[in-house]
Amino acid sequence: MEATPDAEIQVTWEDQQNINAFSRLNAKLEDLQVQYEDKKLEIEYLDDLAMELELADEDEPISYKIGDIFIDLSLEEAQDRLQSEKDRLDYAIDALKNDMDEVETKLAGLKKTLYGKFKTAINLEKD
Amino acid sequence: MDNNPRGIPKAPFIDDVEAYVSKNESVEVSLKKFSETLSKYRFMENNMLQRRKTLESKIPEIEKTLAMVDFLIAKQVISEVGFEGLGLKFYHIVYTLQDSDEPIRTRFELHDTCYARADIETTDRVYLWLGANVMLEYPLDDAKTLLQEKLEKAQTSLNHSKEDAEFLREQITTMEVNTARFYNWDVKKRQETRVANEEDAA
Repeated sequence: MEATPDAEIQVTWEDQQNINAFSRLNAKLEDLQVQYEDKKLEIEYLDDLAMELELADEDEPISYKIGDIFIDLSLEEAQDRLQSEKDRLDYAIDALKNDMDEVETKLAGLKKTLYGKFKTAINLEKD
Repeated sequence: MDNNPRGIPKAPFIDDVEAYVSKNESVEVSLKKFSETLSKYRFMENNMLQRRKTLESKIPEIEKTLAMVDFLIAKQVISEVGFEGLGLKFYHIVYTLQDSDEPIRTRFELHDTCYARADIETTDRVYLWLGANVMLEYPLDDAKTLLQEKLEKAQTSLNHSKEDAEFLREQITTMEVNTARFYNWDVKKRQETRVANEEDAA
């Protein structure tokens, strides 16, 4: 994020704050994206698991992992637990999605402002 | 100079390079100072990321333990429900009644990839590992409260280190921009001097 090769354009404190915000939000977005991908993957696993449990034998206990150990649960208990974990994840994913949208909107706004002022003297694209 | 809540100093923004240089040190000295400040900030940022990683691995650990304690509490409620004979409606929310007297059947990890079978009697107490080779017995509810407090503290501290990392990021950016502007200003200045000298010579 180097500024102004032709030093004609003065960088004001306001510009500096915008550049800082851009850099901070960019890092935040990456961070959120990683979390989002992780949670997405987790919910895919849980969905697969739910499918498997549909086919499971009702009389056979399910070894369900809680913390670090596997506990024998009845099929119904296992499905209940699975559902509440899925609900928790869905909620977290929604929250992450909202945060990401918010950050992306802010980034787009800052990009417009900064490119408007510095034209080609600034590069805000990812490598 | 302003600090952030954890006492990290704010990077100075140079409004006018020309004025700064004429009032303070030469460009070379300023640039050197900037690069020192920059590496201090980078060092702090690294520490902060380290700290964050530690917390990010600690939090799931606490959550796992909490999930287990919650599970044991749920099992415990069943026996209470059975004992006090609460209404049928209630008993469906917590797990099935017949489980209450039966031990909890588990497979627990002896070592990586090696599991053993263990039956756990319904219990109202757990032992929590506190660190420093100390383990303490807690009633389930107390264990839950303790773990929740620890979780909350870890999360607050994670949020703080995230804030600090963001703050540091901003200060680093400011210093980078300062450096670039000084450098560019210097190049321009030199060019002007050279042109002026050539004109003089001509």
